[in-house]
Order: sequence, then structure tokens, then C-alpha cells
Amino acid sequence: MTAKEIQDRVVKILTPYVKDEKALANAGPATNILEDLKVNSARLVDVVLAFEDEFDIEIADEDVDSVNTIGDCVGLIHQKVA
Amino acid sequence: MQAPQGGARSEVAGVRLPARERLGLRVQLALSRLLSPLWIPLTSVIMRYGFGWRVDPAECAAARGEYRRIRRESRAPLLICANHLTMFDSFVIGWAIGSTGVFLRDFGALPWNTPETVHFASNWWKRALAYLYKCVPVQRGSDRTEVAKVLAKIRFLLSLGQTALIFPEGGRSRSGRVDVETAAYGVGRIVTALPGCRVLCVYLRGEGQETWSDLPRRGERFHVSVACIEPKSDQRGVRASLDVSRQITAQLADMEQRYFDGR
Repeated sequence: MTAKEIQDRVVKILTPYVKDEKALANAGPATNILEDLKVNSARLVDVVLAFEDEFDIEIADEDVDSVNTIGDCVGLIHQKVA
Repeated sequence: MQAPQGGARSEVAGVRLPARERLGLRVQLALSRLLSPLWIPLTSVIMRYGFGWRVDPAECAAARGEYRRIRRESRAPLLICANHLTMFDSFVIGWAIGSTGVFLRDFGALPWNTPETVHFASNWWKRALAYLYKCVPVQRGSDRTEVAKVLAKIRFLLSLGQTALIFPEGGRSRSGRVDVETAAYGVGRIVTALPGCRVLCVYLRGEGQETWSDLPRRGERFHVSVACIEPKSDQRGVRASLDVSRQITAQLADMEQRYFDGR
């Protein structure tokens, strides 16, 4: 699976949690999930669980700490599915 | 002071607390303890006579007895989780589960708190008070590594035989009732990282508290109940932490139901 494919699926998963839809339209690897997309921090765990279901992977607690941007998500998922 | 099981590891799920941070917490603990003969009685007096707050005497005695028994019973880490309606809940909860004398004799029994920076650490005197009152401020929605560091600090403090109070809903109940679905997974993360960790669930509500607010009303009469659980999960990773968080909030919701059934 390519990074672009993962990113597209990540953005799709994030969509229902995003408060700033304009920022989502221009989202890239450097886009910060909490600050730029205004995702509620309390919902971040739901996003992570959705990643687990979508990509059939298991994400550890400490992995969540490294998830700040869309690029972080793509990198983490790429590493898990590899 | 009791030293809990599990040694003095100072990490939560891979986040190791730097030696400087650990030293800082030990210094804060020492200073807070040194000044505790001043601020603990003063706080009790302010709550009782300044605000006129009272806790139902029979329920208060039962909660204090149970808390003492739980502290004596085992050396395993103990986290306190409560429902959350006002910004002063942690003060009243401390008061409800332990007397001034008990906290002066067993300072570890007085729980640490994680107030939101914007409310309790926004200027120098609030920061000084928060420091004295055994607080580790947290900024809601901040960088994940910062949140992980706060969790690691709590984990470290529990490993020293201290207790900590966390509100598993992550904020004051906007509906006025415990909401299991809003369970903040960080609570579960602390518990799953601490083998044998027990959770003392505390349900506290004033007779005039219909919903959330900043401050309980003057002359409020509180009711309190406690229940100790040891949540476990068959799941792994983030799902295990979330599962544990939901078990804790479900326990609080059950206690709330019993409170309203008994009214």
C-alpha cells in the first residue's frame, strides 16, 4: 500500500471528526490533527480505533503519543501494515 | 508512607519521565508536605465556614472509613476517580474521604490533582497555589507528548505511594450526569500500566446540584459514596485502556443511579 493510498483513507476516517472542513480540503502530511483540523482531543482515541479497524492493525498506547499530524498517522500505519 | 507494588518505574506505556521531572515532583511533594499543617486545616475551615459546605455525616464517616481500610489493606497503587460537576470538586472530595488529621499523618492519602492549566495555573499566584495543593496542571487538547508526560508523572507519583484524583469524563459533566461514552482513555492508560492498580470510585453530589457549574452553592450539603474496583481488560493497546476507562465511568454511572434511586 502506498503512502498516498494510506493518506487518502486517513483523511476519509478523519472527516467526521473534523471541525474545520476548509483545512481538511487542503490537508497534507504536515497538517496537525488537533490544531489545524480542530479535532476534539477526546475523540482522537476514536480516530485511532478507526485506524485499527480500517487497516487491521493494533496500535499501542505509546504510538498515540506520536500522532500529531496526518503524516505521523501515515507513517505509523505504513510501519504497522508493512 | 506506603510503597506500592510494582517498584518505582517511572514510565507509562513507554513514556519515561526524565530524572529532572522526577526530582521536581519530589521537591514539590516535600514543600507541599512541609507547609501542609498550614494549608490543609485552612482549606477545611474555608470550605466549612467560608462556603458553609457540609458532607452528610454518616456518608462522610463511611467514605473515610472505607478509604482508610483500602489504604491499609494493600500496598498496590490506588487511583481515585470521581464524577465531575464543579471546579472545586477535588477539594470537597479530599475533605469527604479524609480528615485533616488523617492527611497530616498520612500525606500520601491526600490525592494529587490534574487541573486544567487555563483555570488553575494561568497566573503566578494560581500556579503557586496549584504547586502547594499537589497539582500537576494539564492543558486540554495539547500536544500528545505533553499529555503523555502528565500521565507519566501521575504514574510516578502512584509508585511513590501517593494517590491521585482524576475525573475520567475528562471535564465537568455537561449533561449533569455521568456519561460513559465520554470516558477519557488516559485514565485507563494509567491503570493498565500499573499492575494491580485499584481504583477508588467516588460519587459526590450536592443536594442543589442539578447540573455542572463553577462553584457549589453556599451552604451546599453533599452526599458521597465510594466503591473500590480493580478494572481489567482482555483487550490490548488503546482498546484495553479505553475499556478500562469505560468500566470506571460505568461504575460511577451505577453509583449515580443508586444516588437518584435513593432520593
